[in-house]
Amino acid sequence: MIALFAGSLLSVTLGVALVQSSLLLLITAATLDPPPGLGAAARMEFADNVTAAVSMLGIILGMAVFLAGFIISSTFAFTVAQRRRDFALLRLVGAGRGQVQRRLLREALLLGALGAAAGVPVGLLVMAAQAALMRHLGFVPAGFEGRWRMWILGVSFGTGIVLAVAGAMVAARRAARVQPLEALRDTGAAARVMTATRWIAGLIFTGGALALIIVAPVGGPGGGAAMAMNVPLPAAVAAAALSPLFVPLLGRLLPTGSGVIGVLARANLWDARRRSASVAAPLIVLVALVVGTAAAGASFTDSGIDELKRQTRADLVVTATGPVGAAVAAVPGVASASTELSVPATIVAGEDSEAVSALVIDPAAYARAHSVDGGLTALQGRAVAAGPGGDVPSSGTVNVTLPDLDLGAVPVVAAVPSTISGGANLLLPPGLVPAGLLADAPAQSFVTLAPGASADQVRAALGRIGTVADAGTWLRDDAASRSDVNNKIMVAVMGLGGLYALIGVVNSIVIGAAARRREFAAARVGGLTRGQVLRAALVESSAVTVAGVLLGGVAAAGALIAAARTTSAVTGSTTVSLPWTLIGAVCAVALIVTGTTSLITSWSATRPAPITQLAARE
Amino acid sequence: MTREDAAVTLRGISRSYGRGNAAVRAVDNVTLAFPRGAWTAVMGPSGSGKSTLLHCAAGLERVDEGQVLLGDTDLTAARDRTLTELRRTRIGFVFQSFNLIGSMTAAQNVALPLRLAGQRPSAAVVRDTLASVGLADRARHRPRELSGGQQQRVALARAMVTRPDVLFADEPTGALDSTSAAVVLDMMRQMASNGQSIVMVTHDPLAAARADAVIFLRDGRVVDRLAGASAGQVAARLTALEVGP
Repeated sequence: MIALFAGSLLSVTLGVALVQSSLLLLITAATLDPPPGLGAAARMEFADNVTAAVSMLGIILGMAVFLAGFIISSTFAFTVAQRRRDFALLRLVGAGRGQVQRRLLREALLLGALGAAAGVPVGLLVMAAQAALMRHLGFVPAGFEGRWRMWILGVSFGTGIVLAVAGAMVAARRAARVQPLEALRDTGAAARVMTATRWIAGLIFTGGALALIIVAPVGGPGGGAAMAMNVPLPAAVAAAALSPLFVPLLGRLLPTGSGVIGVLARANLWDARRRSASVAAPLIVLVALVVGTAAAGASFTDSGIDELKRQTRADLVVTATGPVGAAVAAVPGVASASTELSVPATIVAGEDSEAVSALVIDPAAYARAHSVDGGLTALQGRAVAAGPGGDVPSSGTVNVTLPDLDLGAVPVVAAVPSTISGGANLLLPPGLVPAGLLADAPAQSFVTLAPGASADQVRAALGRIGTVADAGTWLRDDAASRSDVNNKIMVAVMGLGGLYALIGVVNSIVIGAAARRREFAAARVGGLTRGQVLRAALVESSAVTVAGVLLGGVAAAGALIAAARTTSAVTGSTTVSLPWTLIGAVCAVALIVTGTTSLITSWSATRPAPITQLAARE
Repeated sequence: MTREDAAVTLRGISRSYGRGNAAVRAVDNVTLAFPRGAWTAVMGPSGSGKSTLLHCAAGLERVDEGQVLLGDTDLTAARDRTLTELRRTRIGFVFQSFNLIGSMTAAQNVALPLRLAGQRPSAAVVRDTLASVGLADRARHRPRELSGGQQQRVALARAMVTRPDVLFADEPTGALDSTSAAVVLDMMRQMASNGQSIVMVTHDPLAAARADAVIFLRDGRVVDRLAGASAGQVAARLTALEVGP
């Protein structure tokens, strides 16, 4: 009983803490002011970084809310199911359905409020950890810290109470509807695990995941990636809802051994479908989210790297500062060079202004170096073009502001197709940007050698202008830094959420074990040694873990399919990347954590002499 | 016997489990009246349907055919709400496995049905009810701190605190040693003599012999009825039924 309440409380406390921390960090980042004394260009860059941090924190908050909702509601539903016998007894001595339901909802209300009360201070610790992580990964400026807001108290208590009550509601209705005798004997409707609610939720969320997979390829690089990364959410809910169908089946297929331990473990697995499903649910979510988003993210990153490799036509890449185009082109042996200077810009549409990145280019050279079909001949004078980074309309006019310079409304006369690898949002012709702004602008030149030119001599000459790399090396370094950024994003988004899901797994094992003392005692009276009982519990938990990981893998595969379809639609070539190290690590952590927890809980449940457990009737 | 004399009337009730060829008719067209103010025992070999009969009579299980009347109230037509109210007011249960709520003290368990009915039971009522089963000094003990016999007496007190029309008992001595069983049976005898209607399922001839009448079931049907029989006579009849005709 204590384990059940403690487990529910823990799920609320951590869920509230995670949501509160993510929300406070998001609000803090969104209201972040640039430090005084920054120049116009630095201010724009600052705004650009803030936009990126805010959108990442938005994703983190969404993930936190999803996980809190999922884990709190499934924990509450599980504890109610574990206490069905108590409610049956109450019903037998005259408790009405409404009384059982109201009692459960009152409990949920209390646990939600208590959990939130603990979650608020814990949330401050989580916020410190989350902010430190974001600083460490470089997504927010040094010194960034979440700021407390008084109104968050209302949000945190609201979150705790609403999620707890909502989670208990469905389970409470069911606990109250079951016929008391059936609940006492655990037969009939009381023993049914695949309820109508599970079927409906399972089918609706399967539909949602399929819809995302189908629509993702027409969403373009940005929208398609967002949709693919979101597939794990509905897919995980669907897999968890339908897990009572699959977990015992998968468990049966697993080689648990033919000895008495295997037989006992398999029988337990089949008999306790509800418990197995409850342990598997947070595992499914953990694997689906971590593996699904990481695999989809890696696929998009790799697809972008491949795309860049295919599109880039250059032998050498020079990295320098300022308008070095003429100097590069003048080096003997250089056939052509696309020199691109990057400047921050803001696009104003009505009240909203969006920080974008702009490149000042030589249109003809750019088209050659990046394989732009049809060239960019229209890009000249006071016109701009939509770049490969997207976010800018491909026709019409836009209001562009550069640091200290308002260009006003300028026509968009051309558009480079959006790419998976992204890049500048806006392409500007030479002459539009005053020389003063370009003096310190980071520059990159994509250089093609003239036939017969000596690469070494050209490199030496270019080395006096900037840092020279051959295109292959440059592409490799660029790919490495893209993957690195992708990995950092994954850590920021999944780190604490994954930890919470893992604690959810431990929680449900502890809750499930609380009710097993009698079962273990009966097995020992029946002739099994304590060691055999422990081994059977371990085999059973490993089987549930493998089944949970497999189902989570199915949900993650949904994201991968969406990523494959999107990369194929955007770049014409399908890219699927599986982060095997991460997959292996997730599987190992899941097996170790569930195995250790179930060993500890069953060890403690079998500590008293079995006969005392059997004699203690309620 | 007229309906007014009967605490519970069963009219042609049947109850089957399973479907098709696997169907088992646990209760097969039984018509029976349990007289008011008397203690009736129901006996029969294992699988004769005696527990199912009791559950149907108490409205805990639906019947497939026939009618169950508690006094004048038709349980077969009653909705869940009505059945719940009946459990609070007119029906009491005692089970073989006591079924007390482990986290509550003896006094809290006894007060539970009244609290569920929205009453605030006075401490005196609870104390008197516990005293009537000889457990006045165990009011603050939890079930696990009580012996089996004591737990069953708490269960009896809980069933009786609402002054039910009928007390249903499903193998009330089945999990008790003979000394504890004798104490529980003495208490039930005392209740019956004070006019409490009791319907009890048992396989213990000693328990059945304390009842006013014994009904014998076999294969879901009533096959005999003895009144005022000794334990030896009951045992002999039961053995004959188990051996077969």
